[in-house]
Amino acid sequence: MADIKEDRLLDASGLSCPMPVVKAAKEMKSLQPGQVLKIVATDRGSLADIPAWAEDTGNELLESKTEGSSYLFLVRKGAP
Amino acid sequence: MNLSVGDLRARLMSDEGVFLLDVRPSKEFAAWRIEGKRPLETLNVPYTRMLADAEDDIPAAAAAYVRKNFEGKIPRGSLVVTVCAKGRTSAFVAEGLRSWGYEAVNLQGGMLAWGNHYESALVVEEPDFAVIQVARPARGCLSWIVISGDEAVVIDPLRNPAPYLETFRNRGARVSAVIDTHAHADHISGGRVLAVELKAPYYLHPYDAIHPMDMLPGKLEFNFLQEGSSLSLGRSRFEILHVPGHTLGAVALLLDRRFLFAGDTLFVDSISRPDLGGRAEEWTPLHHASLRRLLAIEGEVLVFPGHFSSAAESDSRGAYVCSLRVLRSRNEGAKMALGDPAAFATYIKSSLPFFPPQYVDIKRINTGLLEVDEDRASELELGKNVCALSAAKSTS
Repeated sequence: MADIKEDRLLDASGLSCPMPVVKAAKEMKSLQPGQVLKIVATDRGSLADIPAWAEDTGNELLESKTEGSSYLFLVRKGAP
Repeated sequence: MNLSVGDLRARLMSDEGVFLLDVRPSKEFAAWRIEGKRPLETLNVPYTRMLADAEDDIPAAAAAYVRKNFEGKIPRGSLVVTVCAKGRTSAFVAEGLRSWGYEAVNLQGGMLAWGNHYESALVVEEPDFAVIQVARPARGCLSWIVISGDEAVVIDPLRNPAPYLETFRNRGARVSAVIDTHAHADHISGGRVLAVELKAPYYLHPYDAIHPMDMLPGKLEFNFLQEGSSLSLGRSRFEILHVPGHTLGAVALLLDRRFLFAGDTLFVDSISRPDLGGRAEEWTPLHHASLRRLLAIEGEVLVFPGHFSSAAESDSRGAYVCSLRVLRSRNEGAKMALGDPAAFATYIKSSLPFFPPQYVDIKRINTGLLEVDEDRASELELGKNVCALSAAKSTS
């Protein structure tokens, strides 16, 4: 998945629940279907919640990984 | 406005009405939720949907979503308790609901606090003798403090040493042994930590100091528990019964031939699973023989188990104890164990619940092969224990 380049980056580092999801939802609205949002978060709850949010809202989680103390997610916007 | 987990427990065990609004993602809700003695009115509305259109005012967005989609499904006039993983998001939801006139409070600390809640209950009290149950109600984990005269032992202490230390501060008994009846797979034992705190020896059967899947010797100091030996406690005496099956080094402790601390071999309404070492077929006959041995103990014997599956198993004091005589006639697994080995093996096979993958790591921690921080420890322990066979799939 290393070849996927994001169209937008959301740095939600330092924010705690529910803000990473709220910000991601807001950011996603300005993207076109098929475009990819990269989310960086440090809240441990994001590990379960960002994938759940993507699934609940018809977006596709492409990748989820941990780098040091950060959690990285790539989410592709689904069809409206 | 917050409600503590202790206050929620008290409401759930009494007849006070509670409506739960759980805002965790649906998968997490499905895996583990708050339960009471009776079925609870609960609604799961994932915050990931609730807040998908939120702007800056989170409480307002939550309340608007709930009103739009769930108006009429959340009762007015009874207490609504909002729940999430750690109690942050649910606090916004409670605030939003209150602004619409709901009587809503937030469960402080969320499911994390719920899972880490401990409760103590005095179960047996006689002159110079007492048994205290220390439970984690949300996980179905039980441990026991036995006091005889001015001496005490702790059996299967749970991760947090605080409730035990508090009991001993109040009672002033000297702790002569901290015992694990087996190497636990579902929760992190508090045994070694508590033994150090209390300057008491820690006891385990040597077979359970070996990780059954890694086949590696554990890195831990302990005193041997073994078949035929005994431990004295004040004027009382524990006989050590080696009862392999749930683990290879499982023991039960029989106190003065009247109190049986059965560990994870025998529960009030079920029996344990023999597959957590990855050798279900080989361990099932051992388990069968061990169960039969415990069930054959004569006389009026009270059983103190290591787990419960449902709050319905408790008596009016919240104690999970049962006489061996009643258990023989009511407990389905016990009845199967009293039958023939082939039928028992079939019964076991058809009643095995899923194997939580984190159980392998938890046993590594309990044998000293792995160390984790507090966050990881809490994560590993999320959810209810699945050490018992599941009754739902049982043959009949």
